[in-house]
Amino acid sequence: MAELKRILHVEDDPSIQAVTKLALEAVGGYQVLSCDSGPQALEQVEAFAPDFILLDVMMPGMDGPETLARLRERPALADTPVAFMTAKVQSGEIEHLRGLGALEVIIKPFDPMRLAHQIQTIWDRHPR
Amino acid sequence: MDARDADAQDMNPHDNEPSRLAALLRYEILDTPDEHDFDDFTQLAAYICETPIALISLVDDRRQWFKSRVGLDVSETPREIAFCAHTIQGDGIFEVDDARQDARFADNPLVTAGPAIRFYAGAPLTSPDGHNLGTLCVIDRVPRTLRPEQREALSRLARQVIRLFEERLLTKRFAEQAALQHAILDSATSAVLVTQTDGTVARLNPAAERLLGYPAETLRGRPFTTLFAAADLQRRAGALTRESQRPIAADFSALTAPLARNGSDVREWQLRHRDGHLVPVLLTLSPILDGEQRLRGYLAIAYDLTLQAQLQLRLQQIAAQVPGMLFQFHWRKGTAGAFPYASEGIEQIFGLRPEQIADDLRPIFAVVHPDDRQRVLATIREAAGSVTPWHFEHRVLHPTRGQRWIEARATPLPQSDGSVLWHGLVTDITERKAQQAELDKQQEMNRRLLEALSEGVIACDAQGNLTLFNDLARQWHGRDAAPVPPEQWASVYRLYQPDEQTPLAPDQVPLFRALHGERVRNMELAVLADSTPRHVLVSADPLFAPDGSQIGAVAVLHDITERKRIERMRREFVATVSHELRTPVTSIAGSLGLISSGVMGEIPAHLQELLDIAYQNSQRLSELVNDLLDMDKLNAGQMRFEFRVQALQPLLEQALRSNAGYAQRYKVSYRLSNPADALVRVDALRLQQVLSNLLSNAAKYSPPGQEVELSSVRSDETVRVSVRDRGPGVAEAFRDRIFQKFAQADSSDSRQRGGTGLGLAISKELVERMGGRIGFDSTPGQGACFWFELPLADRVKEIT
Repeated sequence: MAELKRILHVEDDPSIQAVTKLALEAVGGYQVLSCDSGPQALEQVEAFAPDFILLDVMMPGMDGPETLARLRERPALADTPVAFMTAKVQSGEIEHLRGLGALEVIIKPFDPMRLAHQIQTIWDRHPR
Repeated sequence: MDARDADAQDMNPHDNEPSRLAALLRYEILDTPDEHDFDDFTQLAAYICETPIALISLVDDRRQWFKSRVGLDVSETPREIAFCAHTIQGDGIFEVDDARQDARFADNPLVTAGPAIRFYAGAPLTSPDGHNLGTLCVIDRVPRTLRPEQREALSRLARQVIRLFEERLLTKRFAEQAALQHAILDSATSAVLVTQTDGTVARLNPAAERLLGYPAETLRGRPFTTLFAAADLQRRAGALTRESQRPIAADFSALTAPLARNGSDVREWQLRHRDGHLVPVLLTLSPILDGEQRLRGYLAIAYDLTLQAQLQLRLQQIAAQVPGMLFQFHWRKGTAGAFPYASEGIEQIFGLRPEQIADDLRPIFAVVHPDDRQRVLATIREAAGSVTPWHFEHRVLHPTRGQRWIEARATPLPQSDGSVLWHGLVTDITERKAQQAELDKQQEMNRRLLEALSEGVIACDAQGNLTLFNDLARQWHGRDAAPVPPEQWASVYRLYQPDEQTPLAPDQVPLFRALHGERVRNMELAVLADSTPRHVLVSADPLFAPDGSQIGAVAVLHDITERKRIERMRREFVATVSHELRTPVTSIAGSLGLISSGVMGEIPAHLQELLDIAYQNSQRLSELVNDLLDMDKLNAGQMRFEFRVQALQPLLEQALRSNAGYAQRYKVSYRLSNPADALVRVDALRLQQVLSNLLSNAAKYSPPGQEVELSSVRSDETVRVSVRDRGPGVAEAFRDRIFQKFAQADSSDSRQRGGTGLGLAISKELVERMGGRIGFDSTPGQGACFWFELPLADRVKEIT
């Protein structure tokens, strides 16, 4: 079983971006690349070659689902596990997001102390 | 014999013989006993004519019969040999001087043998109508001749005999008449009295004796007026005096005065019986006039009205019991009409006496309300003309009772003389009118009330006919109550489910359900009558009559369109705000969490406490936002549940692990005891949410060092999970609203204890959505035990 090391995080809010990066790096010991937007992520993703991608759903311009669709177009990223982070959880939304190819949906606000564990759990459950 | 034959032929047949015989028989004198009156004439004739024999001879069809005879013993002889048979053939005196010398009589046995007639002279007895009935004749046994004066006397005597016949007949007839009268009077059932012209009683029949109690001889000769009450005569005299404008005395003339004008007088009177009581009679008084129209007396016929009076009294008593006035109204074309009968009720209705309107309508019209007079007159005229039943209501100005409303009804009975007799009833309907007015007022009030309501009101009768739409109901449905069968109410009035998409099924319409006996409470539906859908909460109830039968149904509609709009706005606002809050809260809580956990490096001790405060409060803020969003989702029905049948115990164990940090913070410990082996069908995440809530509450309210016990117990159908603490328990005043939103024991509690006040409300919703129920047992001061029960899923699993 491959080890989870590199996580690409796409999030437009700089505070959340910073807290998430800290939580994953300091608590989980992962290597995190934070991107401010979908286009930035598409630009940097191949160079980074993440094991796991964490996408915010609501972003100005290109939102999470669209970013995911674009990422999936890259053959190298076709099978990379993806989780969404969202604050707005309406009925059916989680189903919808899973339908788009996400493994899990992490609800904001998240507990920074448990975030790394949460993602590790998803990674472990993910069949490869 | 030849002569006799010839004579016989002369006599018979005679054209007038039958009528002559009839004339003879009319006097009814043949074969009657001797009468002196006639004997006087025969004596006189014999005397005057100086003959030994004189006869009054009557000739019938076969003989001559002697009514009176002087000097002869036989009472009759055959007609064939009778001299008189010759006499009646002529007009004057028939005289035979010497029968032996006369061929007609020479061989007559009366000549040849006894009485040996030689001389005969007969004067015909000629009736007033010209028939010779017989003769007055004189006979001698020697030949002779009458002197002219004798002959003259015989003729005169004959005429007197006939006059005597007439008189005798009249007397006889008179006697018969008298006997007949007697018989009639005696057998008459009406009392008959005859008075002299001066009013003294001359005769009375047995019926009168019986009626009045007087033997005829006692009353005879006494004044007729002794039978009357003086007061009655006085009153009658007074009335007559007024009528005729001349003084009439209160004596017999009070009875006879009207006769001059009317010929007879028929009137009800009271006659005094011999023993003193009064007898009601209908008295017909007529003058008795003779042939010359001279007054001979008076005939009084009294018809006993005692029975009628009793009947009338009974009728009166019945009529008196009838509430109102019974009447007869008699109308003849060209007249105003009159009331021959009116019951005593007229006093109550019109303030009049029956006799006041007996032949005058004016007293009635005088009390009819002036504004109603024309209408009443027109109605009567119209009804009288068309012989249709009357019915009208009008006002009366009663002299003592003031204005009253009355109702009159009558049915016509056409009379043979072309007039119409109406029988009817007048009743006082003032009370009813007042009640009606009150009812009208009430109905008007009700109507206004219905219109003033901010609710729509719709009603139907027991047959499902829509009977009422108040203003708002009309406005909201865009139409009024129409004859629409209940099955089409939903479609015609465009009723939809709250989603505004699904048409309401006919049997879901609240009024329809109420019509079928159901009570409907606050059912929401949408009315799509116009472009803006209107949402209403409808309550509907069957309507019952006092006897319990259903008489219809009513639905009350409360417009919640605006409320729903505001609610939606509020929810959207909360959702938006909550969502917008999440991002900063996430970063604050995240940052503080990372710092205070020490992963970012060692924290100076003097900062640690402040950081903890900041971190805990950011957590609270985060929970609040989560709870708000959860509540919102629950309310909106947007929370999804992922049900899975699973063992309960691992879920409880997980809950203890997840909340262990919480327990530490409040320095209490959790203990799982007696875990039951049970399967439940739940959404694990949501169940964790409930358990976290109950466990954190228990920790918060437990004194430090105490234990919180988590246990589960199975029963037949359910498993109960309990969280027991050793805290202060639930205050009495708080129990009712502990599961309401934003409820906490007191307002300061929230800050002291932490928490949003939404936890229990959310837990209740979640448990109920998972088919369970939630509750608590608590004795203040002895801790609280919050529990929830979930249906067991074991059986479900066994089956599947």
